[in-house]
Amino acid sequence: MKKQIILTLVIALMSVSQGFAQEWLVPDDQKTLTNPSEYNLSNVKKGKDLYIKNCKSCHGDPGKHNGLPLVPAPPDVVSEKMQNNTDGELHFKITKGRGGMPQFEGTISDDDRWRLINFIRNFDPSREQLLVDAPPKKAKLLASVNEVEKKVEIFAEVESANGSFVTLTDATVKISAKKAFGNLPIGEVLTNADGRAEYKIPETLIGDENGMVNIVVQLDEAYVTDNVVLDAAKVGQLKPQPKLIKKEILWSTNENIQTWLLLSYLGAVGAAWAAIAYVVFQIFKIWRLGKE
Amino acid sequence: MEKKSRRSFVKALGVSIGAAGVVGGSSILNSCTQVASTNSDTITLLTSSGELVKVDKSQLKPADLPSLSENQKRGREGLPGRKFVMVIDLSKCRNARQCMKACQNHHQLRPEQHHINVLQMQDAENTAPYYMPKPCQHCDNPPCTKVCPVNATFKREDGIVLIDNERCIGCRFCIAACPYSARVFNWFEPRDAEKYEGVTYNIEANVPQKKGTISKCLFSADRLRDGKLPSCVSACPNGVYWFGDQNEDAVTNGTTHETTSFSKLIKDNAAYTLMEELGTKPRVYYLPPKDRAFPFQGEIDQHHS
Repeated sequence: MKKQIILTLVIALMSVSQGFAQEWLVPDDQKTLTNPSEYNLSNVKKGKDLYIKNCKSCHGDPGKHNGLPLVPAPPDVVSEKMQNNTDGELHFKITKGRGGMPQFEGTISDDDRWRLINFIRNFDPSREQLLVDAPPKKAKLLASVNEVEKKVEIFAEVESANGSFVTLTDATVKISAKKAFGNLPIGEVLTNADGRAEYKIPETLIGDENGMVNIVVQLDEAYVTDNVVLDAAKVGQLKPQPKLIKKEILWSTNENIQTWLLLSYLGAVGAAWAAIAYVVFQIFKIWRLGKE
Repeated sequence: MEKKSRRSFVKALGVSIGAAGVVGGSSILNSCTQVASTNSDTITLLTSSGELVKVDKSQLKPADLPSLSENQKRGREGLPGRKFVMVIDLSKCRNARQCMKACQNHHQLRPEQHHINVLQMQDAENTAPYYMPKPCQHCDNPPCTKVCPVNATFKREDGIVLIDNERCIGCRFCIAACPYSARVFNWFEPRDAEKYEGVTYNIEANVPQKKGTISKCLFSADRLRDGKLPSCVSACPNGVYWFGDQNEDAVTNGTTHETTSFSKLIKDNAAYTLMEELGTKPRVYYLPPKDRAFPFQGEIDQHHS
């Protein structure tokens, strides 16, 4: 009996380890492909956006080794396991997927898959990193809402080399609205030469019952700053609150019964009882006549 | 004897303490798992992070645990101004079944009971099979609530269809009425029944479950009350679920926490609902299994010959 258990255990273990330890074989003609996408800042940046959208939820932030604890574990971008792949191998794996790794053949275009590899290669230790992930700079962000003209006014400053704050130009400011379970991005603006920017709030934005919107203003990830949260600005449309349940529509119980149904039911019951009473009364009448 | 009194003490208090100085940062400890010892003035508590802290007894105050009747009352009303909606992206599902696991843990369900179930689907002989998670559709015109003879199951103003296990008589009319087979019956003692003994019934989680009554998907109404996403939505590792408030026209993905416009999402992806020809008006939308991220790996029986 014991032997049997051990045997099954060994077999189970073997099959499990086989399943995971199996080499991820890439066809030779795929392996040697070279990346047609040029290794430059714009491609790496695009790759980064793609990475954040499609890969980060499992592979985690590059260098932080905070990927999901799956089996097999999704390797970090900086890890040797990832970087030892050739460009062709990476491309094949992203395209076809395997097990927990999705296939991105249908969801990311071929050009964009190569851009992703541009981004992955940015963490190759043998290569000089492009400035995509320059150390984040300290910044200050001020914002206010103009309720009359329905716009957000923004002013941004950044810490310069000597420690003083100077106006921040050409920075992307993201504007989103707080919703029940997250922030809904509604737009982006660039700051001008004075470090200022204005964002016109779209007419279609929905607020709460009173049209109030909580607006979140944030700079992109290259800057360290607190997000500005503008509480309850009256810039949105009133939230529609259509009645979902009409009165007297669910009528299996007395509480929700429809009047016509209640009346006709009671009428029918009353009529039945009246008919019975009439018959009984007639029988009684016949019995009395018979007695006379 | 001592053990019993301790337990009942914690249960009765449901301890919530202001202990700002003791535990750095967080000022309120609301989940103490165990009482280690009791003195006259101070009490030693084990925090959820595993630290032992001494707290003055006078600082302890009973947490606001709603009574059964209050629970049932607010459970019938729902969250004001909301109209919850779920969008399931079939192209992302790879049958990880984390949603089912999280759901069964949350709602005290036995392994064979499902509030949400991942089905293997194939629409026609030559079409590709795919995985389809199927929770209760929370219909706006629900057939199930209309057949209940005791008003145990009902539709709330925020869109959720709930069942009150305290009222349910177990007639199973609603199971027969539901075209989506969304309801389960507690034929046996529920899972971990002894663990939940004496716990106040929560109509928004169907916990503790009762043998001989119906249970169904609740969109985790108790979590929504706390501003959290439903258990299945948060548990999904593949970004299948979007959940939000239709009145606000915003849905949030449970995996990526990305928020997007609900109307745009369903329009751009040609979303559909299940069996809309029945006029049930479901609140769960499906995005078609197009451009799938994972290949189908199950086996499907050929019923199409």
